[in-house]
Amino acid sequence: MMTSNRYLRAVETPLLLVLLVTAVALIGQLSGSPVISRVVVQALVWMVLVVGLSIFTSNSGVMSFGHLAFMAIGAYTCAYLTIPVALKRVLFPSMPSGLKWLIEIQSGFVLAILVSGVVAAFFATLMSPPLMRLGGMEASIGSIAFLLIVQTILSQWTDVTRGASSLIGVPATTTVIGAAVAVAISIILAWVYSRSRFGLMLKASREDEAAAISLGIRVGFQRSIAWCLSGFVAGIAGALYSHFISTFDPLSFYLNATFAAIVMLVVGGLINLSGAVVGVTVISVVQEMLRRLQDGSIGGLTLPAGSSTIAMAMILLFFLIKRPAGLMGDEELEFRSLKGSGSWFRKGSRGQADRTE
Amino acid sequence: MSQFLQYLLDAISVGGVYTLLTLGLALLFGVMRLMNFAYGELIMVGGYTMAALSDQPWPIVVIAVPVVTTLFSVLTERLAFRPLRNASPVTLMIAAFAVSTMLQNLARMTIGPIAKGVPPNKFLVTQTEVAGLRISALQIVTIVLCGAVLAGLGYLLVRTALGAELRAAAEDFEMAKLLGVKANLVIVSAFAITGALAGIAALILVWRQGAVNIEMGAQPLLIAFVGAVIGGMGSLRGAAAGGFLLGVTTTLLGAMLPQALVPFRDAFVFAAVIALLVVRPQGLIPAPGVRVS
Repeated sequence: MMTSNRYLRAVETPLLLVLLVTAVALIGQLSGSPVISRVVVQALVWMVLVVGLSIFTSNSGVMSFGHLAFMAIGAYTCAYLTIPVALKRVLFPSMPSGLKWLIEIQSGFVLAILVSGVVAAFFATLMSPPLMRLGGMEASIGSIAFLLIVQTILSQWTDVTRGASSLIGVPATTTVIGAAVAVAISIILAWVYSRSRFGLMLKASREDEAAAISLGIRVGFQRSIAWCLSGFVAGIAGALYSHFISTFDPLSFYLNATFAAIVMLVVGGLINLSGAVVGVTVISVVQEMLRRLQDGSIGGLTLPAGSSTIAMAMILLFFLIKRPAGLMGDEELEFRSLKGSGSWFRKGSRGQADRTE
Repeated sequence: MSQFLQYLLDAISVGGVYTLLTLGLALLFGVMRLMNFAYGELIMVGGYTMAALSDQPWPIVVIAVPVVTTLFSVLTERLAFRPLRNASPVTLMIAAFAVSTMLQNLARMTIGPIAKGVPPNKFLVTQTEVAGLRISALQIVTIVLCGAVLAGLGYLLVRTALGAELRAAAEDFEMAKLLGVKANLVIVSAFAITGALAGIAALILVWRQGAVNIEMGAQPLLIAFVGAVIGGMGSLRGAAAGGFLLGVTTTLLGAMLPQALVPFRDAFVFAAVIALLVVRPQGLIPAPGVRVS
């Protein structure tokens, strides 16, 4: 009995999270309404991104503002691989000769997604020597600089990326099921990492950096591992996004998107995986409600553009001030916690959130 | 020679503006470790104040704009940052991101996304030619205004009691509080000074651009941010030097980079920021007591 309990405890969190994702996916699949299924796919794609972000941020306690850059890299890579060759010839008439092969290559959807993840992870690896040796605050600032560099290159290198004009013609192949499978895989990946030797060492450094160093943990190296893995997952999110939206430009991956990802992560809870999944689910629902409220399909009153974003910003501030540890606080989702325990507001003090440096 | 002097003049006037921008951001970072993303939106608020007052005589505009931005700055402190007084720098950074988004969308709601033209005063666009140099009145006004503001700020920080308290707080906030510095007073004054600097920066920027839009704060914010990182976060002298250096460098890069690379100027600048963070994370002139791992 004891042992079966132990095995159950080891897998119950990812199990519950995958169940939650399955439930969300079923809503999208069975609703029959194209609008709802679109909202669900979008939420699932964001979930891949935020799970990816949380692999780094939750375990290391260092906030990254740069993950949308990995998402952008993934989206563009996937677009190069899957836009039909004939269309690419039209889209990129002045591709520099050294990069002409980008026009000729072509691959299937699944392979393209994996390659996008790998390319994003490659750029993460490239950035990790400078960024990961920095202290927490400086690393966050450096991650903003990284986002800005990628943004500048994507929007200015017109011959290769079409600059500020949209990239069009990516086949819309991301389905509810496909996105849900990707979320499930990234949840399992994140969970396995966070329980691995490396994940535990990184979490030790989050709790007390000096003590972790004194125990021989190379904090910078451990952060780099999480950074690359989370870059990989964020790149996959970008690939899925490109196949969901099929038309995008560099601004799709800039500050507004970064803001949305941060709201999701903070509202869910910054320091664990359940927070990321729960946060995306809750915020996606709230966002959709606000969107409908704004365009008048609920309540019949049209609100001016921007009011839903203001509401999101207020939700974020509310959580930072009143419940900085997020909805999930310190606890992962477990069968025990479903039985309900105590007041929602007493859980999670400021002290916990302040583990984020 | 005159070409060089021309560049130098441009570089100094741009450098002056960048110094103002950087100081506003660095002051708050020094006092409460707040990376204030809403700084750009303060500049936008200043810009729209100018647009609203464009029929008024210039002395009213020049006084009203910094006053309005100061009020907004103090208001953001009261509503958003005071409840987070003891939060970690990253929590503050996220909160500032929220405030910035909120202000920007408030503007979108009330004013709308379309840019408004604010034609600069006729006097400002007059150009004179002195010894082969093209000098516009705006350049002179910029340099004089920046010089005056910097001198005033220097006086405030070095010669007055409030300035001493601000510098003490920037150096070691806990210690300063123990020695009787009033936390609220110092923090509110830091926000007020930031607001005033944003207002003055808004004046100069809108005179230069001749138009306002709701995203006009983004570029100055990035400049301030990069300048502050270069100079050393939280060190005021470093920030001033960093901002000035950044202004001079970008002007010279703009003039000297091969034409094909000019659009990528910002990418070079940010890459330089990362490089600097690696080689000298404490900045060129670091604040005292900065730890580097």
